Amino acid sequence: MRVVALYIDAQVADWPETASICSRFDGPIKTVATADEVYADVAAAKDPVRRGKQVLYLTRNKGAYIRQCPGTSHYTCCGYKILHVGTFCTMDCTYCILQSYFHPPVLQYFLNHADLNAELEQLFATRTIHRMGTGEFTDSLIWEPWTGLSEALIRKFAGQDCCALELKTKTTFIDTLLDLPHRRRTILAWSLNTERVIGSEEQGTASLGARLNAAARCAAQGYPLAFHFDPVVINDGCEAEYRRTVERLFAVIAPRHIVWISLGALRFMPDLKAVVQSRFPQSKIVYGEFIAGLDGKMRYFKPLRMKIYRAIAQAIRAHAPDVCLYFCMEDDEVWQDALGFRPADRGGLTRMLDDAAVRQCGLGNGSRLG
Amino acid sequence: MASDGEVTEECDRLIPLVDIDPRDERFRITTRRASDDLHLSIGRLGLRVPPLVVPGAAGFIIVSGFRRIAACQGLGWDSIRARVLQKASPYECTLKAIAANSLERPLNLIETSRALRLLDQYAPGGQAPPEHAAALGLPTHAGLAARLKTLCGLPAEVQDAILEETVSFAMACEIGRMEEGLAVDFARLFRQLKTSLNKQREILTLVAEIARREGINPRQVLTEDRLSRLRDAQDLDRNQKTQRIRKLLRQRRFPALVAAEDNFQSLRQRLALGSNLQLVPPRDFEGTRFTLTLNFESVEEVSRLRVKLDELVDHPDFKTLLTGKGRGFGEAPVP
Repeated sequence: MRVVALYIDAQVADWPETASICSRFDGPIKTVATADEVYADVAAAKDPVRRGKQVLYLTRNKGAYIRQCPGTSHYTCCGYKILHVGTFCTMDCTYCILQSYFHPPVLQYFLNHADLNAELEQLFATRTIHRMGTGEFTDSLIWEPWTGLSEALIRKFAGQDCCALELKTKTTFIDTLLDLPHRRRTILAWSLNTERVIGSEEQGTASLGARLNAAARCAAQGYPLAFHFDPVVINDGCEAEYRRTVERLFAVIAPRHIVWISLGALRFMPDLKAVVQSRFPQSKIVYGEFIAGLDGKMRYFKPLRMKIYRAIAQAIRAHAPDVCLYFCMEDDEVWQDALGFRPADRGGLTRMLDDAAVRQCGLGNGSRLG
Repeated sequence: MASDGEVTEECDRLIPLVDIDPRDERFRITTRRASDDLHLSIGRLGLRVPPLVVPGAAGFIIVSGFRRIAACQGLGWDSIRARVLQKASPYECTLKAIAANSLERPLNLIETSRALRLLDQYAPGGQAPPEHAAALGLPTHAGLAARLKTLCGLPAEVQDAILEETVSFAMACEIGRMEEGLAVDFARLFRQLKTSLNKQREILTLVAEIARREGINPRQVLTEDRLSRLRDAQDLDRNQKTQRIRKLLRQRRFPALVAAEDNFQSLRQRLALGSNLQLVPPRDFEGTRFTLTLNFESVEEVSRLRVKLDELVDHPDFKTLLTGKGRGFGEAPVP
């Protein structure tokens, strides 16, 4: 979705990066004293979520840049850290939780990168293994047309040995990243889905083929890769379709390039259902067999999750028996059923992923720090 | 609002009944049609409160007193004494018509809807001032009034269901957003089942979501064979029909979950726990912890329960339940 208006927080109006972003933008630009005017603009729209994707607000991150992934109770979290560089997204996925996460949802980009760098330096100084990413509250690479954020982060992470950065996307905005000296400290990750789900539920995103081609180009430049089958959407014929997606993945990407692959079935806070029904009346995605999970989120009935997980895991294992395969927010029963072990059997999920990052990204020069 | 005598003038006149057009219901507020109850009192005591009429293009238009006039016609009278409004605008007639009803008795939902609609229809400028509605005892909250106004435009069968109170205001508003045929189908079903709002909501949501998921019209869900047979079943009372229809719809909307529930139910029955032991599965089988409740009031009962618990621990079906295979979870993991 095209950004049609740019608001600038008066506090960052004179900053060089503000001028740089403005120079790449050809719509109306307005400086505002507070965010209230931006929120009012978005809230007044007939479809505030859509408007929130068309209005970019340049401001400061007034909180912490590095945050612990919130996870949820009762399910196994991977101990990920979020690098909070901005909020919301210009693509329009029907199931996107950000539609009901922010009130109102606004595309924000934070410019106080001195604070970001200071927090990163502090973390790097601990010399403990960390995995972090920018793709939790936004897509990591949608900012490429306007900013040099990814380049700066890739260079920053290349200069240390304990943290892996994951840039998670559904775009193909990789051209500016290919020739950077990344030292394998940055993992480029794509969310994968079936052609049907991408076509019907992921408006404005790159096609499956385009995502995989972009991943292959990054692999050719030595970048470690990750893939996230998230959200897995259960519908008639989905098992065969996910198997085909796995086939296509391994047709262009050799397993040795892959740090990890995650699986996570569609889950959402109950509030999102009404948003999807209203914004995407043609979508059937919220009419699956959902129950209220232990964390209050709507989840597919557990045996259905297990069945599709088994199918996808088998397909992945057939091509990549040794790749680190994990579930995002599932319990031991699911792990045991679909993968044959529980995270605790292998030292816990955090340990499993840290080890994968150490191996593939060369963290700590191959030995655990700390 | 103008006071009586300030704007509108009335005079009592004897009017031939043939000069009054009872089919012109533009000012009708009441939803009651039958006038049998009035026959007796008017027949014995006469017409104590004359109806209110206004001169029309040919004869008179009734403003209030539809049932009284019908009763007089039923009694075979030739003429009646009526109050005739002189030089009254349609809006003034509307105010009189509403007042004659709303200030005398509580209006039902359809009458309230008619009154609010009538005010808007004849108000100068298309919208009656809220103070006029307030003076007539009508709701003035804009949102509520807007929803109420839709009711009298609903199909007759839906309005009947509202008047019977088999469909609540909240449900009527939901039904009112549907296409006419579907709204009537739901009204018929709810009139037949006479079930609570929560159950109506559940049925409505299940039907709508099944239709969306299967890409069919919701009316096809409501007219499906098994559902129709349940509705027509002679050996079931309303509660049984409601329960089975809900189950049928849940089965179609959540096939795997309902199958697991049924499976659990039959395994639990095989355990023969008796009335003092209750085994409850995790909600929707999402968690892994079961709840076992023991009811007792004496040491002897506890002793008997202990024996029962020992039997339970060794029962193969109990183990099946706990390992998940009984819930349809049991396929081999990825090696």
